[in-house]
Amino acid sequence: MTAQTIILVEDDPGLRTLIARLLQENGFPVRTAATAPEMWIALENGPAASLIILDIMLPGTNGLDLCRQIRRTSDIPIIFISAKGGDEDRILGLELGADDFLAKPFQPRELVARARAILRRGPMTDHAAPKTRNEVQFDGWTVFFARRELRSPSGAVVDLTGAEFDLLGTFISQPQRVIGRERLIELSRTRLGDSSDRSIDVLVSRLRRKLTAAGAEPPIMTVRGVGYMFSAAVSPA
Amino acid sequence: MIRRPSIGLLGRIVLILAFLLTTEFVANTLIFERVSEFALQDDDAHRLAEYLAVAHRVMDRTPQAGRETVARELSSARLEVRWSRGIDTQSTNFRLNDLRAQMLAFEPRLLAAKLRLHLMPLRQGGDIGGSLELTDHSTLIFRSSHQEGFWSLTFGRIVALALPMLALALVGGLMIRATLRPLRVLMNATGKVGGRDAAPVPEQGPAEVRDLIRNFNAMQLRINRLIATRTQALAAVGHDLRTPLTRMELRLDSADIDADMREAIRHDMGEMGDLLRSLQIYLGGEGQTVPAEKLDLAVMASTIIDAARDAGQDAFYDGPSSLEIWGRAVSIRRAIANLVENALHYGGNVRLAIRQEEGETLVCVDDDGPGIPADKMEAVLQPFVRLDEGRARNTRGMGLGLAIVHNAIRQEGGLLTLANRPEGGLRATIRLPRQPA
Repeated sequence: MTAQTIILVEDDPGLRTLIARLLQENGFPVRTAATAPEMWIALENGPAASLIILDIMLPGTNGLDLCRQIRRTSDIPIIFISAKGGDEDRILGLELGADDFLAKPFQPRELVARARAILRRGPMTDHAAPKTRNEVQFDGWTVFFARRELRSPSGAVVDLTGAEFDLLGTFISQPQRVIGRERLIELSRTRLGDSSDRSIDVLVSRLRRKLTAAGAEPPIMTVRGVGYMFSAAVSPA
Repeated sequence: MIRRPSIGLLGRIVLILAFLLTTEFVANTLIFERVSEFALQDDDAHRLAEYLAVAHRVMDRTPQAGRETVARELSSARLEVRWSRGIDTQSTNFRLNDLRAQMLAFEPRLLAAKLRLHLMPLRQGGDIGGSLELTDHSTLIFRSSHQEGFWSLTFGRIVALALPMLALALVGGLMIRATLRPLRVLMNATGKVGGRDAAPVPEQGPAEVRDLIRNFNAMQLRINRLIATRTQALAAVGHDLRTPLTRMELRLDSADIDADMREAIRHDMGEMGDLLRSLQIYLGGEGQTVPAEKLDLAVMASTIIDAARDAGQDAFYDGPSSLEIWGRAVSIRRAIANLVENALHYGGNVRLAIRQEEGETLVCVDDDGPGIPADKMEAVLQPFVRLDEGRARNTRGMGLGLAIVHNAIRQEGGLLTLANRPEGGLRATIRLPRQPA
């Protein structure tokens, strides 16, 4: 497998050098840029890049605007790094089409892990395709993938943990098909930061409980000895 | 703005007093004029005159020894007659000149008997009283009582006396209130200094008040600048330290030190990161720019409790599985998470309950910890206040946790209360108003 090139856009020289070195040590060729114009140059020169790591606070064009411009022409994965940890920036970043958001200060291995996950996930998302469809509906519930948000039939925000949302995403991508328990465990293990050893059954029961909120039967059925099935019809919103 | 000349606060109040006194003088004069013009119905006056003439004649012919008895017999329910040896010394504040003229016209003999008529003072019933002089210069005193006509007269007099007074008090009150209005506006503004909706007070009113308002506005501006500068400085600290802190994390990774030391430094840096985060949330008023939306409070709370349980904590949720309310999800989530975090930190466990009460939704976060000393209850809601200041500084954060909750909940129109439970431990209660969902 050929090395996947990462473009790093960060205006702080010290941090730029350190992150670049970190990524290189982990086997990724890196091209760096300090400003928006430098990024466009870095994007065009050399082998095609597979990922952009983008600081939100940049001199001139800020990261959010830059992300918007990139998205007009390219689906290249983007990870935001930001000195603002607020939820609003995170949500805005993800809505603009970024793939992940990391608040400074972050641990080096976390950045590497997220970069790896996104690069690994890259081709997979295409046929699983939850990302290309921004919103889907089932039984009156709406799932917003960019914001990683679930809304009840009455329009209320229903909190899900990251693992629960990923599980729901898996179910939605394969509606009315039995998904083996082993397969779900495998999928939940690949999720980032999901280091707790809670079983997939607890996860399913919590998700089911939250989907019962509207009073109706939850659309997740247990198929004894095999796994689970998402029984509701999924339609693009 | 256009500055109209002003006669000053003192001048205005003096003018108001002068106006009131003048009006009262005029009103009183008019009322007493009315009293002297007071006249009974012709019939009544005639009857009273006739009766008095008879009583005078009878009393005059009765020897002095029997006069008291005869006077009693002359008395009726409507007219009380007494005999007195002396001369009438009743003060005659309210002479009833018209009534007297009326009566004299019917019975000219009453003139010779020196008829005196007056209104009794109100405390004595406000009836018509009077006297006649007998030939031996003793006095026949009479008093008409409990007569409907006289009653209405009394009532009319009270109203006549009281009405202008009440009206004057009202007008005076309104005028003084209008004069003091700019002061009240100023007073309200002082309560908001440094708050979110502080605004300059328009310069109006008397000269003294205008000066006061101008000075107040200048002071408010200085205070706002101070607050803004302080907030900017703190925000800059919170923001600008993040980049060097990230560099340190990266440098630490490749530094040539032993693993224990690396972990210790990493832990310290994690703490610094938490401090910066809480500072930013406190200053930034996280989530306040987004509009309120519908959210499931029960799912939100149980998700936070689930996360604590997954981390191996002693955490329980007791409440409905779904409860939709209106609010800002980010703020409310932060508030509940902070309270749960506090309970786990100080109490070692947490029990979160959601209850519905009339018009309110209650989120109770209980722990079995030591609680908070009663005299510190207020203080802990203030920013940068930590209870364990003197003891081990093992608290992560800057003492902003409860201040953040307090602000967030107030922003939602709710209330955060803290109380030590009788059975030990602390109960933090979030009260959210229930809007029509």
